[in-house]
Amino acid sequence: MIRLNERKEPQHNIETEKFIDIDTLYLSLSQHTGTFSKSTVSLNQKVEESQLIAEASGYISSNLHSPVSGIIEKITYFNHPILKKNETIIIRNLNEPKKYSYINDVDRFSKEILLEKIKSAGTVGLGGAVFPTHVKLNPPKKIDTLIINGCECEPYLACDYRLMVEKSKEIFKGIEIVAKILEPKAIYLGIEENKLEAIKKFNLIISTKKFNLPNVEIKVLKSSYPQGGEKQLIYSITKRKVPIGKLPFDVGCVVFNVATVFAIFEAIYYNKPLIERIVTFAGKALKKPKNLWIKIGTTLRELFDKKVLEFCCEPTKIIFGGPMMGIAIDSLDYPILKGTGGVLFLTDKEIDLRDETNCIRCARCVDICPMGLLPLEFVKHIKENFYSELNEFYIMDCIECGCCAYNCPAKIPIVNYIKLGKQILKDLKNET
Amino acid sequence: MRLKVTTSPHIKNYYSTSYLMRQVIVGLFFPVIASLIFFKMKAFIVIIWCIIGCALAEYLWIRLNRLTNSLWDYSALVSAILLALSLPPETKWWMCVIGGFFAILVCKEFFGGLGYNIFNPALGARAFLMANFPVALTTWRFPYINFKTLGNIPDTFTYATPLALWKFDKIIFPLKYLFLGIRAGSLGETCVLAIIIGGFYIIFRKIADWRAPLGMFLSMTFLAPFYIWPNTGNFFNDLFISICFNLFSGGALLGMFFMITDPVTTPITKTGR
Repeated sequence: MIRLNERKEPQHNIETEKFIDIDTLYLSLSQHTGTFSKSTVSLNQKVEESQLIAEASGYISSNLHSPVSGIIEKITYFNHPILKKNETIIIRNLNEPKKYSYINDVDRFSKEILLEKIKSAGTVGLGGAVFPTHVKLNPPKKIDTLIINGCECEPYLACDYRLMVEKSKEIFKGIEIVAKILEPKAIYLGIEENKLEAIKKFNLIISTKKFNLPNVEIKVLKSSYPQGGEKQLIYSITKRKVPIGKLPFDVGCVVFNVATVFAIFEAIYYNKPLIERIVTFAGKALKKPKNLWIKIGTTLRELFDKKVLEFCCEPTKIIFGGPMMGIAIDSLDYPILKGTGGVLFLTDKEIDLRDETNCIRCARCVDICPMGLLPLEFVKHIKENFYSELNEFYIMDCIECGCCAYNCPAKIPIVNYIKLGKQILKDLKNET
Repeated sequence: MRLKVTTSPHIKNYYSTSYLMRQVIVGLFFPVIASLIFFKMKAFIVIIWCIIGCALAEYLWIRLNRLTNSLWDYSALVSAILLALSLPPETKWWMCVIGGFFAILVCKEFFGGLGYNIFNPALGARAFLMANFPVALTTWRFPYINFKTLGNIPDTFTYATPLALWKFDKIIFPLKYLFLGIRAGSLGETCVLAIIIGGFYIIFRKIADWRAPLGMFLSMTFLAPFYIWPNTGNFFNDLFISICFNLFSGGALLGMFFMITDPVTTPITKTGR
């Protein structure tokens, strides 16, 4: 695990703002892990805010709702750097905001009803993996430890931190719901040590004992990368190791991001599906970084056209996500997805563009790999086209965190080769 | 807006291959200075011609192959200095050049360039020179410095290395001299103190991993009593002398800090080291 230069100032301490004055929204039907959703609306249909516009099409799939009341302009296919070729519903905003009323008697809902509500709300993991939450809340094995991930280990990003500071009570109400469904024996909140205000607020809430939670413990963790990765977090908190190729429930744990828990809270207490989230906009190319509550489907272009964000100089890279695992994009015409936690506008000084040179087998990548793999062997095999042996080195266990390529003195784009290798292996498997 | 699109990660650590090589050269600085003090002009000649040989070989290879890759990454310079430090002071200049060419062309480039060599180029070249010019490479000289203050030194010490003295004459060289380097040997292996300083430099700057040198240190320490036993009567004294002698004579320390930590030829896992 690496200690990175966190670069979280000043966006760490900037309060969130809302942005709702959008003209057009682009909602992709495959912005979650699993099979993509199927559209349930037709052209020129008028939809209300939070109305279902696409339904889940399989066990691991998710619903999609309209973030605004508007008219369906087009349903077409787009190419996207993250989602590849995907079907997108384009909605024109009619600017009729909806009011959500608070539901008081949530306690009467049984486990099954809660799960059904979360499933129909289209909640997915907002830590980046966008895995359908209702599937995760129904693990095949009984779990005894619930871990809430408040780490946010990527540099620049502050969306989870602002959520923890501004909506701490709501997060605890969400944890209550998750605890009612999963019935864990222990609940841990993993937070990195650089999030002092959030830790203070959470400690205060726990000490008031207002919430119906048996044993919640806050674990303050060292700020290193990738502390927020599922398997790393489970090991740091419970010292249990998830075996290769297995999932957290195999060791009795389940991990949820704080933003996902907040989305669960909104789904149950307000009947509000997943239609907006906090996104951090940062980077030296921006005049002022911001944390915004954004409706899913807002394009970056509109944010700049409406002067919500402004450039102070031309960016060299625009990245969806954090600088270690984010995807670079080639224009401003892409929308915010369910899994977008931050958009970075970086200048030359903040990124590394050095060319690739020979691997000197210094093994700094091996030393730093949080999964204990041999990245230099992957690169060697992929360069020589020895694909069949990649599986022997457990390439599928790679979480693509980028620690290896960060550390490499020869500036070899190791994650690039690993992604290529994984794709080729998938294609080879599909062929046979 | 011209945007660059590359894969993650988009931020990287500051160091590069050139940086690592430059730091190794800084670490080698200490044995080089020591060799210049002890062997003066002869050392300078050997070092300069090794550098010229290696650099020329690398330059020719890159020009002939029209590559732009590893010319300025200092790896040729590191091999040159290591080769020079492993040669005796009386090596002729043209032997150094041949050694340099062999190191770069055969041991490095013929295998595929930087990172693909299975032998350390400097040592491969030294073995080649040893095979071809055995007399020149076993002619040892005593350091050329004033010894009036150190007292009388028997003649036998001046022409043989300490290890040869033990093997053939069962004489143990005084440890104090071994440590400071007042004995016959190759350019780099004489001054133990300088090697230790240089070695600790590259370990503390995290250029080299400490596990490989530690492994070699432990094995030499444990096996020393089986090879060398001075029989002074006191057990611990014997043990101490035996271990120190084993460690400090010959090119052991130079190998321990600079050869075994050469990244291309070391194991890649911590357990392996």
